[in-house]
Amino acid sequence: MSGKMRILAGIVVIAIVAAALGVFIIRGPGPLDFAGGTKVALADYRAGKPTGVPPKLEKAGIVERGEYLTKAADCMVCHTKPGEKQYSGGLAFKLPFGTLYSTNITPDKDTGIGNYSDQDFLNAVQHGKRRDGARLYPAMPYTSYTFMTDEDVLAVKAYLFSRPAVRAKAPDNTLSFPFNQRWAMTFWSAVFNPDTRFAPDTSKSPEWNRGAYLAEALAHCGECHTPRNLGFALDNRRKFAGAITAGWRAFNISSDKATGLGNWSDQDLISYLSLGHAPGHGSASGPMGEAVDNSFSHFTPEDIRAIVAYLRSVPPQASPDLPATTAPVAPASHRDGITADARGKQVFASACASCHGWSGESPVSPMATLTGTWAVNDPAATNVAQIVISGTKRHTPDGALSMPAFGKAYTDDEIAAVANYVTARFGAKGSKLTAKDVAELREQTAE
Amino acid sequence: MATVLTINGETKSFDAPPDMPLLWVLRDILGMTGTKFGCGIAQCGACTVHVDGKAVRSCVLPVSAVENRAVTTIEAVGNTPAGAKVQKAWLEAEVIQCGYCQSGQIMAAAALLAATPNPDDSDIDAAMAGNICRCGTYVRIREAIKQAANGRQS
Repeated sequence: MSGKMRILAGIVVIAIVAAALGVFIIRGPGPLDFAGGTKVALADYRAGKPTGVPPKLEKAGIVERGEYLTKAADCMVCHTKPGEKQYSGGLAFKLPFGTLYSTNITPDKDTGIGNYSDQDFLNAVQHGKRRDGARLYPAMPYTSYTFMTDEDVLAVKAYLFSRPAVRAKAPDNTLSFPFNQRWAMTFWSAVFNPDTRFAPDTSKSPEWNRGAYLAEALAHCGECHTPRNLGFALDNRRKFAGAITAGWRAFNISSDKATGLGNWSDQDLISYLSLGHAPGHGSASGPMGEAVDNSFSHFTPEDIRAIVAYLRSVPPQASPDLPATTAPVAPASHRDGITADARGKQVFASACASCHGWSGESPVSPMATLTGTWAVNDPAATNVAQIVISGTKRHTPDGALSMPAFGKAYTDDEIAAVANYVTARFGAKGSKLTAKDVAELREQTAE
Repeated sequence: MATVLTINGETKSFDAPPDMPLLWVLRDILGMTGTKFGCGIAQCGACTVHVDGKAVRSCVLPVSAVENRAVTTIEAVGNTPAGAKVQKAWLEAEVIQCGYCQSGQIMAAAALLAATPNPDDSDIDAAMAGNICRCGTYVRIREAIKQAANGRQS
């Protein structure tokens, strides 16, 4: 080999090593790597059955099992546009580089997935590959669903195919270059899709393994609650540390004592997941409200407990921008406490006080109590502004509770003022939102 | 399953879905039409009633949320000391124009006076801002609240 050739070969080797190292660094650990125990193939695991449906549905038909799993995977929330038929797609995800629309997953042959074979469906859900060979964008969380067993994925398919076919074509995506190049997702997928089925951890309890399967393969908690890396994939070095998704803040759900779930009791977590409310911690709204209504509220109590057991094991990650403790109840009179923002106070008196009270403890329902929630204690006021814009409608065992959407009634200026007033009065540190911030939040909300 | 509520001190039993707003129960099931429907989203105050003495909007309040709590409506607010004073002052100051919002205004004012016997303008603003009057009787409402507070005849 000549000297030149040796140099060239050396450069090539260095480039390959650098690329591999780059991929390794960007990709980081997998979602379950923190556990560190010995993983075994599912078939070799004898301590319990972490996958599939809970014991009471074990004998049920495939459609009924599929229904439980479809709800556990919360397919509905993304694949249904509000007001349209379930699973018929068309929900718009507004991204910085264009709009992406969810697809119709009803069994309609022209506009849905009616022509999908079992293998086609597995390819889509576990590998991110469409029937026509095109690549799915990772808005579809196939990097989580890839951990599902084939049996469970096909039960989901059986359930979806048991439902009425709806003819509905989703609008074309409006992504800009280079994001409109679907083929490029091949490389994304090669780097970021673990493309592996769930492997139980023998060092953990059967309950933990069930919780891990539910949280990672089905409920895909990390897709909202884990920050993303340079490649827009989940950065599991900061697993469950919280992130902004679709304009809402998904708070820290790591075991951090102050800003995570460390100071939530088991009962708080069970209540929050199954009812969307925990006393002293507030109510789920926005995307988490939907997750509770469409998904977690359908889980069996033992599956909820398994998720809680799993969440407890996720290493603590601090959210330094959040206060160490949430603020106590505000004074009962409008005169006391923070009154600096006159405009915010005026809006609060007109639109908010009748349900939320001046103390933050609702005279109407504990669901509407502001005291103790992260939303009002977040100095960025993201979720306060969002719920003012979009409102909420929650189904509880006691019936529906709703907050009207004020997005069309108030200007960006007024929404910023009331969010700043609310966070100052009921939270640890007031926000400093501007009209421009509110305009940006409006842009990010899925619709 | 029958729902049981305590309304104006009386026990009422009726069938209603748990998520039915209290306002519908009052007006459509119990025939108590003094409480008005305005906007239906807790933004106008026409449907104001008292729950445990506090002014709340009955149009967004599921009936299941008020079981075991004391509900007072415009039909009986005159039996409370603050309510009686407010109603008297309302008549003396000739507050009402079309009247549609006024049962809500009176309920809000009565709750204000029960909690804050001598309100100043800022207290009145804070308590009454959510009660809208399209006739614009706000000036007389403010005057009547002050009259009710100090017992002065106009």
